[in-house]
Amino acid sequence: MKMKSFYNAVFGIATEVLYAIAIILTAFLICLAAYFLKL
Amino acid sequence: MILRPQPQDIKNIGYYSGKIIIGIGLTMLVPVVIALLFAEINPALDFLIGTEIALIIGFLLTRLCFTENDLNWMQGMVVVSFSWLAAMLLGAVPLYLSGHWQSYLDACFEVMSGLTTTGLTLVQDLDHLSYAHNLWRHFAPFIGGQGIVIVALSLFMKGVSGAFKMYVGEARDERLLPNVIRTSRFIWLVSIVYLIASTLVLGIVGIANGMKTANAFFHGACIFMAAFDTAGFAPQSQNILYYHSLFFEVITIVIMLLGAMNFNLHYHLWTGNRREIWKNIETRTLCITLFVTFLIILIGLSEVGSYPCAVVMFRKGFYQLISGHTTTGYMTIYARQFINEWGNLALVGIICAMAFGGGTCSTAGGVKMLRLGIIAKALQQDLRRIILPDLAVVEQRLHHIKEMFLEDRQVRSALLITLAYLALYGIGALVGMLYGYPFLESLFESTSAAANVGLSCGITTPGMPAGLKLTYIVQMWSGRLEFMSVFTLIGFFIAAIKGR
Repeated sequence: MKMKSFYNAVFGIATEVLYAIAIILTAFLICLAAYFLKL
Repeated sequence: MILRPQPQDIKNIGYYSGKIIIGIGLTMLVPVVIALLFAEINPALDFLIGTEIALIIGFLLTRLCFTENDLNWMQGMVVVSFSWLAAMLLGAVPLYLSGHWQSYLDACFEVMSGLTTTGLTLVQDLDHLSYAHNLWRHFAPFIGGQGIVIVALSLFMKGVSGAFKMYVGEARDERLLPNVIRTSRFIWLVSIVYLIASTLVLGIVGIANGMKTANAFFHGACIFMAAFDTAGFAPQSQNILYYHSLFFEVITIVIMLLGAMNFNLHYHLWTGNRREIWKNIETRTLCITLFVTFLIILIGLSEVGSYPCAVVMFRKGFYQLISGHTTTGYMTIYARQFINEWGNLALVGIICAMAFGGGTCSTAGGVKMLRLGIIAKALQQDLRRIILPDLAVVEQRLHHIKEMFLEDRQVRSALLITLAYLALYGIGALVGMLYGYPFLESLFESTSAAANVGLSCGITTPGMPAGLKLTYIVQMWSGRLEFMSVFTLIGFFIAAIKGR
């Protein structure tokens, strides 16, 4: 039971970090697109 | 007819405020330990004096006003708003004694800015500030971000009923666990787990960038506390620009986003409900507002041609945006660059992002994502009512932890608080203009203070008028507590003077 709680917490943290990284990558892609499209 | 507060009201308020003041005094012992570790004798004495004053006042209040009664709603709200003022006045003592703040008002401004997780600063010669005082600047957001009352709840409080009233008064209306004290402890668990992990990562990056080991980990801990608690203080006067590291900037963006997340969302993600992050109205609204404001900034910056390269656009444009939107206030540019390099459109974009803020029940300020989401859903519902036949039943759903139907009272509450925030941003801008600052600059700084952001376009300096400093203090305080407990405190004083 304790191990399950521990894994849940670890995967929960990983999900949060992935969400943040997804936002960062999208923002960077938008910057690249703006640069190449000479927005 | 207004009723004058009864002696029992004063006793209850005094007793619980006393307990919180004792808690504030004890937290000042943390910088004492750091001062002793770094052999800083005078700073240690500054904090011992601060602790002593807080403990004397706290013990006197708990002795003189001893009671076993629980708090009612009015008393709980007054305790919260009063405790925040007391924390500012007491926490400013060691800072003022250091000599790095021009006046006691400046030290109060700094502490209120820290406790409310704003990050506007009036410190002088920051680069030569002692480790202990610097830690206190960063520790204040860590206490205030989680909530001063949360600190006291986790440590001292046993009366659960009264505790919940103070918890709500501190603008946290979501209980994660059935017991509010267990809720407080979960909030601390999340903060401490991230504190350890992030300090390690930032420390290692600091060492890789050539910093000394102790300094790197000290900076790592400080930067984490100010980023996760969306405060924006940094140990060096150049803020994040000091580190000149893309990796450092990316890590702080991740921490800022984590800090702007609702603690209720953290709880559900950490207990296995991982799909919540993609379904929750707050995370979805954040994505939409973030990219809409980013497009505005992108167009604005492209017009003036300040950052022609994609990487520079990301590091200067997006970084300030995410810092403003999560209400952190970290900067990778100098304050006056906002005015000299950004142009009006990009400034409007970042002001909007600051005004929107982060998640409810998080450490972020501003209007908050849940309220914006609710208002958008209400608009959608009204549009559907117009489009669909008259007899059609129009129900609007929203997902926040669970599926629910949109209710009128939710929309009214969201609109009222949003209007209150808009009024607060406007009043601050008006005061700034009365002191002779241009409209856009005044609005920028006022929004930054009231939404507890901390980005500055150069108005906030030790030399600014005292009236403006006081205005920003009130803005930070009422913005952080989301008005209700501040209005209750004002009502309490009016009742004490005019009541029968």
